[in-house]
Formats: sequence, structure tokens, C-alpha cells
Amino acid sequence: MRKVFSVIVICVALIVPFAMFEVMPQIGDPNSAPNSHVSVHYIENTQSIANSPNMVTSVIVDFRAFDTLLETTVMFLAGVCVMIILAGVYKTKKRVIDPGESKMLRVRSGEKVFRSINKDVIITLLQPMILVYAVYVLFHGEVSLGGGFQAGALIGTVLLLDAMAVPDKRNFPNITKGTSAMIAGIGTFIYATAGILTLIGGGLFLEYEKFPWNVPLLEQHSIGILMVEIGVTLGVAGTIVTIMNVLLEKVKFDK
Amino acid sequence: MELFLAEKGIYFLTLLLLGVGLAGIIVCSNYMKKLICMNIMQVAVIFFFLCLGQKAGGTIPVAMDSMINAADYINPLPHGLMLTAIVVSLGTTGVGLALLYRIKDRYGSIEEKDIIEREREKK
Repeated sequence: MRKVFSVIVICVALIVPFAMFEVMPQIGDPNSAPNSHVSVHYIENTQSIANSPNMVTSVIVDFRAFDTLLETTVMFLAGVCVMIILAGVYKTKKRVIDPGESKMLRVRSGEKVFRSINKDVIITLLQPMILVYAVYVLFHGEVSLGGGFQAGALIGTVLLLDAMAVPDKRNFPNITKGTSAMIAGIGTFIYATAGILTLIGGGLFLEYEKFPWNVPLLEQHSIGILMVEIGVTLGVAGTIVTIMNVLLEKVKFDK
Repeated sequence: MELFLAEKGIYFLTLLLLGVGLAGIIVCSNYMKKLICMNIMQVAVIFFFLCLGQKAGGTIPVAMDSMINAADYINPLPHGLMLTAIVVSLGTTGVGLALLYRIKDRYGSIEEKDIIEREREKK
């Protein structure tokens, strides 16, 4: 019954676009509806208003900054939610499943011989490079490709590699789940602080021209974008590390 | 026909991907597989939005001094929206995995059949 139902759903979903094909815009048409109204304003004014050649960055952290503030808050809340859901009373020891006979088949599991050059050497070499690239992406997100979300994901990836590739050997200090959730919260707070500072300067929330310090107008946009991006980076990296830490607490690697 | 496929065929493919995800959510009885199929559906929606941002003859949305027309750059709006959607999907996947842990802890399995059996035993 379920399979028949799913087939019906898929057929309907594939027939509907044939009926709607006249309405949908052509791929690559410069005059189609999604390419013509507000996006032209964003493209033409990205340097004169937002002082940021990268249009994607200027759209998400300048023209639509309020939207991104709430997205970052959603990320932070997701991390906190994972912590709350798994903050139960059950013990980790119960969850370990005895490998039993299958352990006999894996002759070299956990031995030093089983370690590869990939795990021992290459990951240690790669981690600083990824970190440098993350910092580059963060501070260049305004003028070239990149941005806060990507930098946060890269930093999260480094810590995830560190924790998961070789579990008993850590290159970075171990961050507990409370600390990483706090980092995510600080990131979201930096973002909100940018808005509060513009309120102090007498403008609207996240209106970057009204920062209380006295610098040229376009510079203020750059400062605002950089501040917001640092906040987003901390928020995303903290959330990834929080989710990873909480999930890893419930896992025991068999040795 | 070829012109039609070039102009609008990609909508059909993204909807096929959406259909695959939807069918997986309905058919699979393992909750982990359901979560994976939900991710496939998210990817389909992201592809659909990115298709709308495409422009013939446009380049990456980083402003250069030599080009000032809006027709020279692809539409940055769908890319910005989908960038945040990808990151938020990471958060939802994390919450989904945490809920799977809870279900596994309570019922001892994440198969739909076993969970329904357990519920019947309780009554």
C-alpha cells in the first residue's frame, strides 16, 4: 500500500511541472522574473552602497542582515537543542555493543600496525593548512569569494577531523560541549552587538552607516560586515563542534 | 525537443530528485534512511533555487571595474539564500540525529516495525 502511494505521489510530482512549464522561466534568461527585479538593484549598488565587491556577501550580511541574524540564531538554538535532547540520564556503558565473534575476524583492529600514514602524518599536516585557509576565507570574504559561513564550516571541519580520525590522539586542546556552545552563543551575540551599536549611533537596527565611531561612510560598512562575519564564523564553528561533541559522548570506539 | 530540454529540462531533473527523496521517506521503514531521504529533498530544493539564478553569459558575482551591467553577473540572491539554507540544514540534521539517539535508547531499535511492536506490548 505504501509503495503504491509513493508511486502515485512521484507521478503527480512529475506531471505537475509539465503542466506548469509555460509559467517557469527559461534557464539563463537575463530578463526572467527572478533575475530582473531586486537582484538588479543588488548587483548595481553592491560597491556604492555596501562597499563589498562580493555580491553574495553583501546580500546576506548587508542588504539582508536581519535575515542572517535569525539564521545564525537558528544554528545556535539547534546546537543547544541537541545538547538538551541528549542530556538524559542513561549511561554510555550500556550503549556499547559487544562485537563478539566479528571481532575475531578483524585481526588487526586497534593495533599499532593498523595505523596508516594517512592517519598519523597527513591529517596533522593538513589541519594547519585548513585553518590558514579558513582565516583567509573569513577576512577575504568581503572582496573575493568566501564568507563567514564557509570559514565557520572549515574551522569546524578541522576540529571534527581531529576528534574523529584518530580518537586517542588529539592535536588540539579538547573543547567540552559547554565551552563550544558558549562560543556559538558569543558569535551570535557579536552579531547582535553590531545591531545594538548602530542603535546607539542613532540609526536603525543593523544600519551600518550609523556606527558611533567617526570614520568614512563606506569604511563603516566594511567594519560592520567584518564584525558580522566574525560573529557568524564563531556561531557556525561552535555549533558544529557542539553537535559533534554531544554525539561523540555517546559513542565508544572499540579498541 | 532539444531546445525544450535545454531551456526547461533541469526542472524535471530537480523534481525527479525531490520525488526520490519523497518516495524514500514514504517507503523506508528505517528512521536513519528517512533522515537521509530528507537531506536528499533539501538538496533538490537547493538545486531548484540555484537554477533560477543562472544567466546566459554571466560570470561569478564578484564585481569588477570593467563590467558594470547587471547582465554580466549571475544572480547573487539565490546563492545567498541557499548558503544559509545549507548551514541551517546542518543544524536540522544534527537535531534529527539526536532524536534518533533518543529513540534508539528508548525502544532499542530505529526500525518502524520494532517500535510499533514495542508500543503494542506495552498496552
